Amino acid sequence: MTVSQFPDPKSGAVTIRFSDVSKHFPPDVVALNDVSFDVRAGEVVVLLGHSGSGKSTLLRQVDGLQRASSGTVSVLGADVGSMRGARARALRRRVGFVFQQFELVGGLTVLENVCTGALGRLRGPRLGLLSYPRSVRREALGQLERVGLAAQAFQRADTLSGGQQQRAAVARALVQRPEILLADEPVASLDPESAAQVMRLIREISVEQGLTVLCSLHQLDLALSWGDRIIGLRSGEVVLDAPSVGLSRESAMEVYTQPAMRSVLTAAG
Amino acid sequence: MMPITRAPAGEGAPAQPRTLAAPRPTSALAFLAIAALLGLGCWAVLDLRINIATLIDSGRNAAEFAGRMFPLDFPGTGELLRLTGQTLAIVVCATLLSVLLSVPIAVLAASNTTPNRTSRYTSRGLIVVARAVPDVVLAIIFFRVFGLGALTGVLAMGLHSVGMVGKLYADAIEQIDEGPRQAVRAGGASRLQELTSGVLPQVLPAFVAHALHRFDINLRISVVLGFVGVNGLGHEIATAFRQLDYQRGMALALVVLVLCIVIELLSGAIRRALLRSTDRGRRSVSSVPSQRGARSEQRLSPRWTFQRIRRAGYLVLTGLVVLASIWGAELSVGQFFGALGDLGSTLGLFWPPETGGMLPTLLADLWVTVKIALAGTLIGAVLALPIGALAARNVAPRASVAKVFRTIVVTVRGLPELVLAIVFVVITGLGPVAGACALGVGAIGLLGKLVADSLEEVDPGKEQAVRATGASAWQVFCSATVPQAAPAFVGHLLYQLDVNIRSATLLGIVGAGGIGFQLLNASRVLEFGVVTTVMLLVFGTVLVVELLALWLRSVLR
Repeated sequence: MTVSQFPDPKSGAVTIRFSDVSKHFPPDVVALNDVSFDVRAGEVVVLLGHSGSGKSTLLRQVDGLQRASSGTVSVLGADVGSMRGARARALRRRVGFVFQQFELVGGLTVLENVCTGALGRLRGPRLGLLSYPRSVRREALGQLERVGLAAQAFQRADTLSGGQQQRAAVARALVQRPEILLADEPVASLDPESAAQVMRLIREISVEQGLTVLCSLHQLDLALSWGDRIIGLRSGEVVLDAPSVGLSRESAMEVYTQPAMRSVLTAAG
Repeated sequence: MMPITRAPAGEGAPAQPRTLAAPRPTSALAFLAIAALLGLGCWAVLDLRINIATLIDSGRNAAEFAGRMFPLDFPGTGELLRLTGQTLAIVVCATLLSVLLSVPIAVLAASNTTPNRTSRYTSRGLIVVARAVPDVVLAIIFFRVFGLGALTGVLAMGLHSVGMVGKLYADAIEQIDEGPRQAVRAGGASRLQELTSGVLPQVLPAFVAHALHRFDINLRISVVLGFVGVNGLGHEIATAFRQLDYQRGMALALVVLVLCIVIELLSGAIRRALLRSTDRGRRSVSSVPSQRGARSEQRLSPRWTFQRIRRAGYLVLTGLVVLASIWGAELSVGQFFGALGDLGSTLGLFWPPETGGMLPTLLADLWVTVKIALAGTLIGAVLALPIGALAARNVAPRASVAKVFRTIVVTVRGLPELVLAIVFVVITGLGPVAGACALGVGAIGLLGKLVADSLEEVDPGKEQAVRATGASAWQVFCSATVPQAAPAFVGHLLYQLDVNIRSATLLGIVGAGGIGFQLLNASRVLEFGVVTTVMLLVFGTVLVVELLALWLRSVLR
């Protein structure tokens, strides 16, 4: 598998723009503090940082699952903060989301879980696999094939291994036919082998479909191998924003060290 | 299970750091209250003269009554099937009605699915009201409006059941994993789609299990409602007893008994199968059976495996049973809407509450009912604690012992209290002793189960730690198992008392003493204002007990 690991710098349109975005949680938690950056179409951007540094909050701003306290988040040319109800749903339909804990409905089959990705463009409630149109089921099965799980389509989702569940969750996001894929620690609960598999899958899909990816990660190695660009967050502030090409392990590691600690390290080094 | 879920659903209560608490005066007060309740229970037993001697004495009565009871006079097979079918049809329709009403109410009442505060409190309020108004009173009201027939029973039980089913459904919704639901929302789903694709699949097994549970309860209640004008076996029993035809009455009671046990075992098996299948799925996360993958690639619907055929079979069967029940209960929409106009004026008959110049009698009878409930709870505790302990797998000396006692508990649960009451009325004569004994024995079913469950739920690690010191089985039981389960016991006992006050009222209807008799009488002589007074009195008493229980649980937690 030869996926270009370090593609040319992207010159596509801006798909995600954060301008001075802050997010406070009462009483006094500052999850994001004056965050600004652009993401261009087709870029794979990795968010790095400690737990609690604001990565999840940032991702949830993008499809409006949470709203910024101040500043603007514009996604695919629209201001997310001003969207409610049907308009917010219409945006979410164009943005896929992959979660750390996979979040499949355990009691349903894998295929039905993947079909729920199409709910945004279907009308009315759906009960049971057969309530989805054949075309949706065919597309869902196609995506399951893409992630290598066609054989498990009719198994209950909770009988799959963690890595398989996450691949199924990716397939569910793809059934949305998204333009942007958000992934919140997608491999944090997986063993190294499954983790690499899932990251490779996300990378390949981004290249194949020109999908913009914004993905938070814990592991520095994975970030450097699969991302085009690294954004480092510490205590809700952007402390690093650089292409992964030419970025050394050491300078990326700085995201994880406290300022005081850093000066000690600098003095020592 | 109930008392735990009945606690105020932990509404966002902040997790407090656990530190050694200073001894509080409130907990001393709580122990005093428990001691007082125990004392009252003992006094009630003594005051009602429930003792072995009385029971032996009444043996003669029993023998004499048995003489009049035998030979049992069963109706012909056709008639028996018709009556059983009628009862089952009413119960199925009532349970269906309660489920249909409970689902939307629960969605509005659950903190995570409610659109706003107002609808949340409104629907929680509706649930409480449904539970507070006894089904017998509902039956008396609907009997006035719709007359003898299925509709009365279906409405009375269906509406009253919302109090339990709606509550349990709302609790089940509040306990879901929010993750999958958020994932569905993140895909751009509408609110309704979120509910059907993210919430419903998670709560469906619990919904079905609770509905089956309520079905069992309604079957037993339907027999009691026969005494106030609901068709079926219960009505036939009531008629037989009224005509002093004990041979027919006891024969029918035996039929009810068998029916209840069969249905209880059946629905218990279905419930267990449901819960097991969800459990198994969750546990075997790592097993990856690849099922003839190559060919399934072309399929867009699941293969007709044995499981799918069985599931479809269950669905079709359920549908057929429901259709047959609606047809068999002869519910008529016309009758319903035709009589609906009278509902207002009928309800008017029940207001204002009146005492009919017999308030002292009513209060005295209420006191008797409370005594019956207290004595019944105490007798129940004495019987149910050892039986429940032996039914717990981690306490019983052998697995086979636990199984035997579980079976006893389940069997008693299957006994309708009405049949128990009739049996005790036979043995001890009409009056409160029969009621207290019936409640005491009946408590083995509920209290025994709750005790066994909470013993099984204790942390086995602590038992192991005590066992590791070389302690005997008895010592482990006393030092590790009981202390962990003790707070739950108190909750269960209070819950049983609460249930018993309601039941004691109902049993009065068949002559087991207390205020229930006044309820039945008042409705017979059309003094509906008195019915309301009785209801309010019982409601007030239950409320006091519930508040006491709520307070004790919060103090002892």
